[in-house]
Amino acid sequence: MEELEERSRAQALAVAVMDLETGFEFRYRPDRWFHAASTIKLAVLLGLFAAIHRGTLVPQSRLHVRNRFRSAYDGSSFRVLSERDADSEVQAAVGKTMRVIDLARNMIVRSSNLATNLLLDLLGLEHLQRTLEEHQLSGIDLRRGVEDELAFEHGINNRVTADGLVQLLRLFAEERAFSPELSREMVEILHDQEFRSGIPAGLPAHARVAHKTGEISTIAHDAGIVYLPKRKPYVVAILTEWDAEMSGRHPTIAAASYMIYEHLLGARDEDDE
Amino acid sequence: MSEPARLLSERYGAQGEPSIALRIVDGRRLEKKYRDVLRPGGILADAHGQAHQLPRYFYEIPSWEVAHNTQLSENFALWEFIHTDVHEAEPLRMFPRYVPCAITLMALGLEQFRSAARSFVHIAANGGYRSPAHALTVHATPHAWGTAVNVYRIGDTMLDNQEALEHYASLAYKSMPGVYVRPFGRKRGETDDHLHLDFGYVIAVPRGAPFETYNPKLDVEPL
Repeated sequence: MEELEERSRAQALAVAVMDLETGFEFRYRPDRWFHAASTIKLAVLLGLFAAIHRGTLVPQSRLHVRNRFRSAYDGSSFRVLSERDADSEVQAAVGKTMRVIDLARNMIVRSSNLATNLLLDLLGLEHLQRTLEEHQLSGIDLRRGVEDELAFEHGINNRVTADGLVQLLRLFAEERAFSPELSREMVEILHDQEFRSGIPAGLPAHARVAHKTGEISTIAHDAGIVYLPKRKPYVVAILTEWDAEMSGRHPTIAAASYMIYEHLLGARDEDDE
Repeated sequence: MSEPARLLSERYGAQGEPSIALRIVDGRRLEKKYRDVLRPGGILADAHGQAHQLPRYFYEIPSWEVAHNTQLSENFALWEFIHTDVHEAEPLRMFPRYVPCAITLMALGLEQFRSAARSFVHIAANGGYRSPAHALTVHATPHAWGTAVNVYRIGDTMLDNQEALEHYASLAYKSMPGVYVRPFGRKRGETDDHLHLDFGYVIAVPRGAPFETYNPKLDVEPL
């Protein structure tokens, strides 16, 4: 990993791996804090399912789609600009309502920033933070919604560590998040991820990956659960930080993903082909 | 029967009959779970501490289909005024649902506004009737009287900028006598992503409402 970090010219690389088949763990700078970018949406997903588990919401609960939020810095209002949102479906629903489960899907699958802020507003920061605490996920620091430029300028940011994301995804993979059924539902949403140039790009085609990417000008992350035939999955988080002008982010994440795969089971998996 | 009367009769029922085929109910005679959230005849204070009496009489809507098929005016159906979300009180997210009878006045005003705007007027979710128990009802708001709407789109124009909002605010003032339009802005009492129109805290008691002789005991125990 050190060699990959140097070769890629990333400012920082952190990796955490937990193999549920063998118990093997690998950790490279697992506790270094990074700006979370869109990986924080995993925490919002967890919080939504916590509310569903408690019965305060049902997946079909409808929520007004409104593009107006309060900054975590001073409470002033801001909007999620459509040109900075990878998803257009939620933007097109402004004024109407959407089911919370569909918002969650858009938040993960197409990384909708608008859906994320809507769910965060609905659930409340306190509820989401409490949910993380209840699951002892100390490597995830949720402090605000996304696209809150004023908060960003004042250093109020969501942060994650590689270890924190792996611990969170382990809950899903081991079906310990609320119930096996709800865990599986969350994993199914993650399986539909449309941005696949990170972890999946370093794996054979038969690998199924339930994951969430995150990217801003200086950050590129991917964290997920890798399912391969005839074995339990492994959980991996690959976090990177870059100069804003630097390229090679996705190939670096894919290369790290391949190294992990090869180390864990590359030869055996190929034999199984 | 004159021609206009015949047309009216075909569309809205015979003269002398209620034009809306919905049961009018006395909110104080509803089940407790509804009384608790509708607070019929109760008092709600606005942001300035002024007390306002809440509506007591409501139209009962038995189903979404009925809401869909009930025209309040030429171009506005009842369902457009009851499109709420998870923030509405739980008993009012299921049918039967209840709307204050003054909702018809808002539809009438909107019809005039629509004519002036010469296009479709879209009411936002949570932008029609909201009960006093709706999570967005912090203080008294005409939304809880059924006499306010939040319009987020007119035709293809999204009302999320100053130019569009001020243009349509001007049209509203001209076409809806007595209307209040929230000014553009981001402070409390202002809006920057919808057009808020309201007629204030109007209470309507249509003919056919289940009146009763005044009984002071009902102020203490409605049932």
